[in-house]
Amino acid sequence: MTAFARRFFSRPTALFGFAAFAAIVVIALAAPLVFAAGPFTIVGMPLLPPGSPGLPAGSDVLGRNMMVGLAFGARISLLVGVTSTLGAIGLGVLFGAVAGYYGGVVDDLLMRVTEFFQIIPTFVLLMVLVAFLEPSLASAVIGIALISWPQVARVVRGEFLSLREREFVQAARVSGLSDRSIIFGQILPNALTPIVVISSMMVGNAILTESALSFLGLGDPNLLSWGNMIGGSRSAMWVAWWTTVLPGLCIMVTVLALNLIGDGLNDALNPRRRR
Amino acid sequence: MPLVQIKNLSVALPPGSDRALAVEDVNLDIGRNQIVCIVGESGSGKSLTAHAVMRLLPRGVAATGGSILFEGADLLKETPEAMRRRRGRDIAMIFQDPMAALNPVVAVGRQVAEQIRAHRAISESQALKQAADMLGQMGLKDVGSLLKAYPHQLSGGQRQRVMIAMALSLSPKLLIADEPTTALDVTTQAQILKLIKRIQTEREMSVLLITHDFGVVTDMADHVAVMRHGKVVESGATKAVLGSPSHSYTRALIAAVPKGESHLEPPPPSAPLVKVEGLTKRFRRGGLFFRTSTVTALDDIALTLRRGETLGIVGESGSGKSTLARCVIRLLDPDAGQVLLDGQDIAQAKEKTLRPLRRRIQMVFQDPFSSLNPRQTIGDILTAGPRAHGEDAREARARAADMLALVGLSGETMKRFPHEFSGGQRQRIGLARALMLKPDVLIADEPVSALDVTVQAQVLKLLDDVRRQMNLAMLFITHDMRVAAEICHRVMVMRHGRVVESGPTREIFANPASDYTKALLAAIPGRQAL
Amino acid sequence: MKPRYIALRLVKTALTVIAVVVLSFFLIRMAPGDAATVMAGQSGYADEAFMKSLRAEYGLDQPLPVQFWKYVQAVAHGDLGTSYVRRQPVLSVILERLPNTLLLDAFALVVAIAGGVWLGSLAARRPGSAGDNVVSVLSMVFYAVPQFWLGMMMVLLFAVWMPVLPPFGIETMGADYVGLARLGDVAEHMLLPGVTLGLYYMASYARLTRAAMIEVSDQDFVKTARAKGISERQVSRHHILRNALIPLVTYAGLQASLLVGGSVLIENVFSWPGVGTLAYDAVQARDNPLLLGIFIVTAILVSLFNLVTDIAYSIVDPRVELG
Repeated sequence: MTAFARRFFSRPTALFGFAAFAAIVVIALAAPLVFAAGPFTIVGMPLLPPGSPGLPAGSDVLGRNMMVGLAFGARISLLVGVTSTLGAIGLGVLFGAVAGYYGGVVDDLLMRVTEFFQIIPTFVLLMVLVAFLEPSLASAVIGIALISWPQVARVVRGEFLSLREREFVQAARVSGLSDRSIIFGQILPNALTPIVVISSMMVGNAILTESALSFLGLGDPNLLSWGNMIGGSRSAMWVAWWTTVLPGLCIMVTVLALNLIGDGLNDALNPRRRR
Repeated sequence: MPLVQIKNLSVALPPGSDRALAVEDVNLDIGRNQIVCIVGESGSGKSLTAHAVMRLLPRGVAATGGSILFEGADLLKETPEAMRRRRGRDIAMIFQDPMAALNPVVAVGRQVAEQIRAHRAISESQALKQAADMLGQMGLKDVGSLLKAYPHQLSGGQRQRVMIAMALSLSPKLLIADEPTTALDVTTQAQILKLIKRIQTEREMSVLLITHDFGVVTDMADHVAVMRHGKVVESGATKAVLGSPSHSYTRALIAAVPKGESHLEPPPPSAPLVKVEGLTKRFRRGGLFFRTSTVTALDDIALTLRRGETLGIVGESGSGKSTLARCVIRLLDPDAGQVLLDGQDIAQAKEKTLRPLRRRIQMVFQDPFSSLNPRQTIGDILTAGPRAHGEDAREARARAADMLALVGLSGETMKRFPHEFSGGQRQRIGLARALMLKPDVLIADEPVSALDVTVQAQVLKLLDDVRRQMNLAMLFITHDMRVAAEICHRVMVMRHGRVVESGPTREIFANPASDYTKALLAAIPGRQAL
Repeated sequence: MKPRYIALRLVKTALTVIAVVVLSFFLIRMAPGDAATVMAGQSGYADEAFMKSLRAEYGLDQPLPVQFWKYVQAVAHGDLGTSYVRRQPVLSVILERLPNTLLLDAFALVVAIAGGVWLGSLAARRPGSAGDNVVSVLSMVFYAVPQFWLGMMMVLLFAVWMPVLPPFGIETMGADYVGLARLGDVAEHMLLPGVTLGLYYMASYARLTRAAMIEVSDQDFVKTARAKGISERQVSRHHILRNALIPLVTYAGLQASLLVGGSVLIENVFSWPGVGTLAYDAVQARDNPLLLGIFIVTAILVSLFNLVTDIAYSIVDPRVELG
């Protein structure tokens, strides 16, 4: 365990990613404690620049504190990102493992489904889904999970397919181990690496997707996320750059941190690969 | 003056490798019109030495000392452009796996023509004509359509002939062949080696041949150099080195090569334990929507196996020998036939009856690097099977320690992970795992093919000892007739899913009945000298 | 050309289209309130009798399989319903805007592929070098940036702070250019949104190209090529790049479907009058038939494009066989 941690943290980019992400998580968790008034409270005149008294990040089009909005926005992004990814991973591992291990018709069916999701424009489908389910936090999470699970299933299926043919799995079958103990005890621990790496990338992607939805007005109308902060400030963009630039930077830093963590995990878990 | 003089050559590995120098202070002469072999096991540095002569070392690996004189000029000091001009024209090289060594998306004729046009200013069509001529000289038929074929459409032997044709198209003075037959079938191997010998004689060319097989050395080499851990331990004329090897490693290497002679005592007589009848297995290619093509991997196979005896299944790739092993042990479901173990049929048994039967028949696998779960300790690997059959964990662990001692490993091993062990050690662990279930039948599927020759001999001896001690019935799958002779009482030769011939080992070797068996025996490297 | 492979791909494409139609049928049923309620609400009448007659007219009181069959027939004839807001057939509304989107997306795809392959092959030439690291860092950054925000930043940069390019629309309003002048005007307007849209996919193309080229470079046949003494340029072009291109061709197909989604966002930011802005309007107005129609049309177009790339793939890789 510690060898892995050493390898991971030895890369400066992975270290930076981890630190940045940790900071964002802390901010997100601390937000309601530090800013008890919440992000919707109007604190002053609209469009005050950053540096104005009590407004380190300025105020938005309605006169709300940008800093508070950014902190609360982190909560939404992280919540949607993590929950939808967990859902996608859960579904993807389930279907991918069964298809990869048992093969046959089930596998053919899964392959057709994943190919279908690769071909169709999934963002448009997501828009349709969220619009029809009425925009909310739940519909965003469900929608994103539904369009992302096929790619996880594909990866898991590939891993199971190749691991199934490995001799140590055949040895387990010959020893009389049951299918269940082979799937969970022998194959899954060896298939974890790509799943872990892909998860962090997926959280990042989910955050980008959620912000795009909110930007288009398909986010939860009762919650303030970075995406709808940007969407709501479009008219003010030309005169008050901070209303759009700052939330965007937040998104970028969060997703970048997650991608760097993913890259670091990849290198740390596959030490044989040399860049 | 010799054509090539390698003087004090050293090649360094990138930092973090298990040793600093891949090749250390190597001296070797290659004379004109002679075949020189470098022989050694994996990690000996033989391949990198050959690559150094072509200045084709991989990224991160570089020659750090010495010189390579080619007709007096030091190749290590040549400019990259000057070296490029030499490649293909003065010195040519062929590699181990011809499928990987040919560009998969370009037609074969064009690849040969590309070699010619690299150093001669002629048109594409002229080059293709010359290419066609070369291919014909290499013994390839139907050259016209061959020119337009892609590598994946050819057989392994054809591909290697294309590689050789390509290498020789500009009549280089030196041909470097890096394990050119290791990836080929036994019968094809013999043909390719014969081809190399023929063209060497015809063109009075020099050949540097890298191999791990002393049998190949015997057949091919005028001079031989033995390498180990990057150093040359012994070199000289082949007859001299073979006849009176001076270094202990050379002696060990020569002794480890199976001679193809059977010295086994016949097993004690007993009733058949395993009876296979009418075993058939077909594979269908294609999925949901397409028409499928069927391959008959096994066609009505029958065999018997007794306690205390080893039956060898010998065949080339595609013969069905591995499929047979997997059907007998029910890793694959046969389409027809019976596999009777003490009267009970494994082949068609349902899951419930099968599970208790599984204990009695176990397997040792081929690839030491994938036959052990990388994430489990050796102790867990050894006890997994017994525990699945209801044995108490502590008892199983105690037995596992004993089993490790039996295969020559210490009890310390239990806590470690597979990656900490060498190939030979992993095969021993695999054997211990199989024996933990106290089987009556042991199937060994090419258990030594992936091992170095010296390690191979040890593992074979271990298998034979275990068989005798535990009175096991052993089914031994191999492509190497020499190995079969070492360890098998009886031998069954397979080809294209059918049994060609079977009988006692000595009989088959002395009086092979079928032409195919004769060809297999004739193809054994070093047979002539024995 | 492999007729069997192509026939197979045609069948797969047809099945994909059918799956899209089936999926959209079920999506309609998910929409809140049935069509009748919404239409009645729009038109102002809400009494029971009217609703009943609407339902009968649109077959909403029929059993499910019948409705499905009617739907399939309608789609096959190009009838994707009527837009609630515009009172026009959905298909014609979409087709009116489609060329603009196709133009923008095609331009972005070219930018992404050309730029990506170029950058990726540069990076692959000397892995670990400064140039390689710069490309890697840039790719990482562009992966993490939200596309719509990038678009807005580009507008700020190139249209507000340094007014060099027009920030929105497809042509200058009221200028009424014709012929070549019009072409130039459109091109000028297309530059910013097209490049912005392409940047994100350029990053993934660069990464893919780099990885493919490095992997190919390590293969034995490249060693053989060098052993033949051919020039390094020839090795790079005929052996490395030629083989590295194979996965890139397939990837172009997948990029197309992602591109459509990105187009929605970029068109929005730059007020480009395409299908993307149409989708946004449909979302705002809850114009469900239009939104669904956009999904169907784009899905079918992208699967056709994938068919083309798959055929191109079979040309580029002679090893491709059935399945």
